[in-house]
Amino acid sequence: MSRVQLISVAKRYGDTVAVRDFTADIADGEFVTLLGPSGCGKTTTLRMVAGLVDPSSGYILFDDQVMNRVPTNKRNIGLAFQSHALFPHMSVAKNIAFGLTMKRRPKAEIRNKVEEMLDLIEMTGYGDRMPAQLSGGQQQRVALARMLATDPRVLLFDEPLSALDRNLRDTLKYSILELQRRTKKTAIYVTHDQSEAFAISDRIFVMNQGRVEQAGSQLDIYLRPATEFVANFVGDNNAISGVIESIASLPDGQRTARVKAGTFELQGYAPDTLDVGDEVLAFVRPENIEVVGQNTQQQADGLVSGMVEQIVFEGPTVRLNVDCDGVLLNVSASGVERLTLLDKGEKRVTLRFRDVSLVKQ
Amino acid sequence: MKEIPVPVSLLEAEAAETSPRRLRRESFTGLGLLTPAIVIVILFSLAPLAYLVLVSFTRESTFFFNNPVYTGGNYRTIVNRYMPHVWTTIRLATLASIVNLVFGFPFAYILARKISYRELVRTLMVFPLVGPLYLAFGLYYVLLPNGPGAPILEFLGINATSLLFSEPMTIFGMALFTFPFMVMNVVAALANVDPTLEEAASTLGAESWQTFTRVVFPLSWPGILAGFLMCFGWNLGVYVVPILLGSTPQQRVLSLTLQQKAMSQFDYGLAAAMGVVLMVLAFSVTWISLRFSRGALGA
Amino acid sequence: MSGSRPIDLPAGVTIPEGAGGSSSWKTVRTVLQHAYIWIWLVIFVIPFLATLVYSFESPKGGYSLEAYDFVKGAFLENLVYSLELTLMAIIGNLLISIPAAYAIVRHNVPGKRLILSTLNVSLYAPAAVMGLSLLITYAYLLDFMPLTHSTWGLLAAYVVGTFPLMLLPIIVALRDMPMVYQEAAHTLGASRAQSLFRIELPLLGPGIGAGILMTFVIVFNEFLVTLFIAGPENQTAALRVYGLTRTAGFSQSTAAAAATMQLVSFVVVLVFFKLVGSRYLKGTYFA
Repeated sequence: MSRVQLISVAKRYGDTVAVRDFTADIADGEFVTLLGPSGCGKTTTLRMVAGLVDPSSGYILFDDQVMNRVPTNKRNIGLAFQSHALFPHMSVAKNIAFGLTMKRRPKAEIRNKVEEMLDLIEMTGYGDRMPAQLSGGQQQRVALARMLATDPRVLLFDEPLSALDRNLRDTLKYSILELQRRTKKTAIYVTHDQSEAFAISDRIFVMNQGRVEQAGSQLDIYLRPATEFVANFVGDNNAISGVIESIASLPDGQRTARVKAGTFELQGYAPDTLDVGDEVLAFVRPENIEVVGQNTQQQADGLVSGMVEQIVFEGPTVRLNVDCDGVLLNVSASGVERLTLLDKGEKRVTLRFRDVSLVKQ
Repeated sequence: MKEIPVPVSLLEAEAAETSPRRLRRESFTGLGLLTPAIVIVILFSLAPLAYLVLVSFTRESTFFFNNPVYTGGNYRTIVNRYMPHVWTTIRLATLASIVNLVFGFPFAYILARKISYRELVRTLMVFPLVGPLYLAFGLYYVLLPNGPGAPILEFLGINATSLLFSEPMTIFGMALFTFPFMVMNVVAALANVDPTLEEAASTLGAESWQTFTRVVFPLSWPGILAGFLMCFGWNLGVYVVPILLGSTPQQRVLSLTLQQKAMSQFDYGLAAAMGVVLMVLAFSVTWISLRFSRGALGA
Repeated sequence: MSGSRPIDLPAGVTIPEGAGGSSSWKTVRTVLQHAYIWIWLVIFVIPFLATLVYSFESPKGGYSLEAYDFVKGAFLENLVYSLELTLMAIIGNLLISIPAAYAIVRHNVPGKRLILSTLNVSLYAPAAVMGLSLLITYAYLLDFMPLTHSTWGLLAAYVVGTFPLMLLPIIVALRDMPMVYQEAAHTLGASRAQSLFRIELPLLGPGIGAGILMTFVIVFNEFLVTLFIAGPENQTAALRVYGLTRTAGFSQSTAAAAATMQLVSFVVVLVFFKLVGSRYLKGTYFA
């Protein structure tokens, strides 16, 4: 159990900056995910926490103790690798026992712990198998047991599921979450898969080009993207550029701005950094665009009308490409009314936007 | 249910894939392509080596005449008089290969895991590979009393002249030639050890020596052994290094004695017997080494 | 961006003592590792550099190119002969290795492993043993084939001793080359020969290049087998250098010849690395 802090951590390789100015305070027992495209610095950050990479500057703290000079093998961490990294020449039991063997624990204790771990990952009786005799999912479960066996203070995951197929990924990610909840250990999880991040995290750090673009809960990241990168990287999004005309404060402290975008106007949540006259991008997710009328031309506040260019039936949803006076919008309609859209005769629709977020351009 | 007729052409194609006649034709073409290689190996390698064995059982140079006398005398002579040369050969080869292992392993490990200028290392490593003759010649000059190495060695408290014509220098010269062989075998062996396994060991609390004994060594020892044996095999055939850097009585190796018996004393029978001894030593070592270095040279 | 800005630690933070290993020790270790490599790199080149420097020394003191008069004069003949022999050995190796590589990779030959290890026999036999066995064999065959003291005798020895070094990189390259290129060429109407010369051999280029390099370095510098089977009329350059170390002793002209040999070999290797890289030398002594 540990509180993990990163204070202005940076990593430079010559002229290239892998991670810049990463600051985070991860509470004891918290499950944090570093999410971003490959090469964004998320793995480097994780490896710095593990001590496999030395930070160029900044501090890494476990429970208010500076870890920078503590070598990996003294940090008492557990790291799950993408390639699971099971020792191929050792049996499952030997692999799980490795950490305890290194600590020279009594044989009986090691044996009990191995049994306990095999039970935990529901692989009782597999102790004598060699890693090569296991399926990919089993190997990753053994790797998890191996890292939990030493009772580490922090759990680190470096894309542990990306080498597995989709079904296995879905079940294993919940196993990981369950193990973490049960052991109440602090966890840092690196992934490029947003559905994984949303499913298991308490908090998500979205990274791009070595920098944290946004840190927050799933809802913050999804509905209030702070930057253009986050808005585009996480889920589908429509970007509409416009200019802020006015800003109003709501009773709950949030600010809402009226944006003029071409021929129409829309309302969106504005962070404190935006002012009247700023050029902004308004982001609306396809599922947050509601089709309120068909074949009608309603001109009311907050409504936009456009011509349907293409309709794709996707089963639970219907995807529409709508041209609103030159702005192409991707609309995802669900519910019963989606079926009425399939009548090819309906060409003009009226749309209502919900949960519009604004990002400075 | 109606049976679907299989198209005739498909049947034929299938048959063609597996018919023994086609397979036989395949192997005939294959053997045909191999003929030049096989012929030249039989003519200039297998037959001469077989002939060498035959000659090793003749007395002196009787094979030049029509009715050679066959005897085991040459081997008796080796056992009675030339065993010191056999032991010297084995001793020098063993010690040089140990030097290779002790110094080559750390070199290979650093090369494979820690540094980025591998091309430079690889290029400069060509110099020892070019041949033991120039290597021994260069070292000889360095160690001469008025050579460039003398002041440096003097500074280190070593008498350069005492190194020249000594066993340590001979071993060093031999080891320098085979150093790249060792390094490349170990690098190849380490390539089979995923570096994340070493990282995994350290996250689980292993010290670096524990990582080495528990993970790196168990996974790479066949390649390391293959490298050691390959160096040993090469060093068994050493000829010029002891001549230039050693002294003839103490570092007299089998190749040198063999060459003198054949070329100066024309005792081809005895020389051939020495050749057979050397060949058996070298082949048995190579055979073991190939068993361990699967794929390195055995394809 | 935050390079030199000092970072304040929050209150109550401790730096644990005795955790073992500090970053300064890490730096020392890294420096030691590089130093170790560099010490060996220096050792690798010292014999050559010493030879080179000595070859420039004039017996009367000072430095001169006098010793190279020998290289340009009497030694040149040996050098040219060696280059000719090496070139012939390369051609011989190619003619033998390319068909053999095809047979091993693309054809179903029974006893492939056994054949391959038999082909390697002379590669593993000590040079003195090869030399002696060829010497007596050539003597035995004297009435049928005049191989003793002949260029052909040397050539046969070199080819049989080095063609496995040509065969192996070509096998590797051939295994790397997917069949689809060959098949595509056939569907586009190329005959077997057209596909071989226009598609396959160019793709095998790097592998063949690696074999040429190996053959060159070994044959050009071989003197021990040569010592047994060459006569006074066909002295190779490497054998001449060896002979000089035995007869002329330690002279500037010997050094000049030795330095020249190493320089030629090194330049050839360097040019190869520049042109082809070292990928196809995997599993060989060069990589």
